[in-house]
Amino acid sequence: MAQAIVIKNLRKEYGSKVAVKDISLRVEEGKIFSLLGVNGAGKTTTIRVLTGLSRPTDGEVRIFDKDLKSELQEIKKLCNLSPQETAIAPNLTVKENLEFIAEIYGFSRSKAIEKVRQIIEDFSLQEVEDNKAKTLSGGWQRRLSIAMALVTEPKLLFLDEPTLGLDVLARRELWRSIEKLKGRVTIVLTTHYMEEAESLSDSIAVMVKGEIKAQGSVEELKLQTGKDNLEDAFIAIAE
Amino acid sequence: MRSVIFCRRTIKELLRDPLNYIFCLGFPLVMLVIMTIVDRSIPKEAGMVLFHIQSLAPGIALFGLTFVMLFTCLQVSKDRAGAFLMRLYASPMQAIDFISGYTMPLMIISILQIAIAFVASIMIGRATGYVFQPVNVLLCILVLLPSALMFIAFGMFFGTLLNDKAAPGICSIIISAASMLGGVWMDVDAIGGTFGKVCRALPFYHGVNAARLALQGRYDDLGKPLLIILIYAITIYFVSAILFKWKMQSDLK
Repeated sequence: MAQAIVIKNLRKEYGSKVAVKDISLRVEEGKIFSLLGVNGAGKTTTIRVLTGLSRPTDGEVRIFDKDLKSELQEIKKLCNLSPQETAIAPNLTVKENLEFIAEIYGFSRSKAIEKVRQIIEDFSLQEVEDNKAKTLSGGWQRRLSIAMALVTEPKLLFLDEPTLGLDVLARRELWRSIEKLKGRVTIVLTTHYMEEAESLSDSIAVMVKGEIKAQGSVEELKLQTGKDNLEDAFIAIAE
Repeated sequence: MRSVIFCRRTIKELLRDPLNYIFCLGFPLVMLVIMTIVDRSIPKEAGMVLFHIQSLAPGIALFGLTFVMLFTCLQVSKDRAGAFLMRLYASPMQAIDFISGYTMPLMIISILQIAIAFVASIMIGRATGYVFQPVNVLLCILVLLPSALMFIAFGMFFGTLLNDKAAPGICSIIISAASMLGGVWMDVDAIGGTFGKVCRALPFYHGVNAARLALQGRYDDLGKPLLIILIYAITIYFVSAILFKWKMQSDLK
């Protein structure tokens, strides 16, 4: 199967601090890949590098067979990101936020309007579509922020702790939305919720202090550690 | 094209903030009315012409532009504070799209603000017996554009360097300096010594002076102050654009 991401010996240093230590991994196209780790493990730094928000200190990254260093602008057109913090334009309405992002990624006005109509339905945003983003509750803002990442029809989507701050119903609804993308969109997900990773992921990598300590499917990680569930397997790897 | 899309978003953000109407439009208009009342209260024998409407209008128009600086600064610093700009950094947008996307809407707002100040001034002029020459009004609006660009550049500069808590403090210093040392509220030409030299060394005096000369139709005297304010505006704009680009690159390290 074609590879969406190929990372070889990626290293990221901030001064004397090594945030990511020579990691290598591959993510297949159309799969959901989860990066797990405790706070400060290097997950967000890895995502920042992959999305062009940080420059790698060393190593090679290819996304859809394009080199991250020399073809970043081309890569950016194929990817989108939902950052850990809610990232919306506060004085724009829900609809305007979505149209704005769609057009920034090169959609024509008519295509953007059509795509926004569809994403509003997919994320059940109809009741708030004309509300200013700043007036929405935290949960609605989070949902909008994720919808903004999807409205551009990315081939590769980075979701950095997407369900943080969502109630259990909203979280389950978002899981369903993510599952629907399987096969069409490659997703890199970071999360602290083990049941989320277990439910959604095709493969998982566990990061500890900037290194990848284990990699594989949920079943493979359980087998590697001899544990019955992902949470116990994660603790065994992370400790 | 992306800069136009970003420009549309910025203009919506700005026009939907009621504070912008209060400070960018309301405050200069209130000052225009107050200073006209002050002018009417000064005896003719005092020979004070600074607050006559033909002298006051260009000064107030420039004073209004200082608030455009404040809101440029707040918009840039607020964008930088949240994750929204990070999302855009990960998009195909480039530094030039951001810089022009901030500049274009604020230039439009500046032109509208100057035009409104002149509409109000023309109405006051009619009430007080002064008739503005339309050609000179148009020329004065054009002459104020370099000042508008300069204040937008100041706003971008401080918005890039400061957060939205510190930005208003620094901007209020520039607002006070621009109006006092620029000669909006006092006759800088009558002041000599070090203070006068300081006023003439700064760009604000030349911005106000050029606008007044344009409105008075003194085209022969216009060249020098206009050239000075143009050089200041272009230099400060380039410095703030380079700073924004540098800061963007350093954020992406």
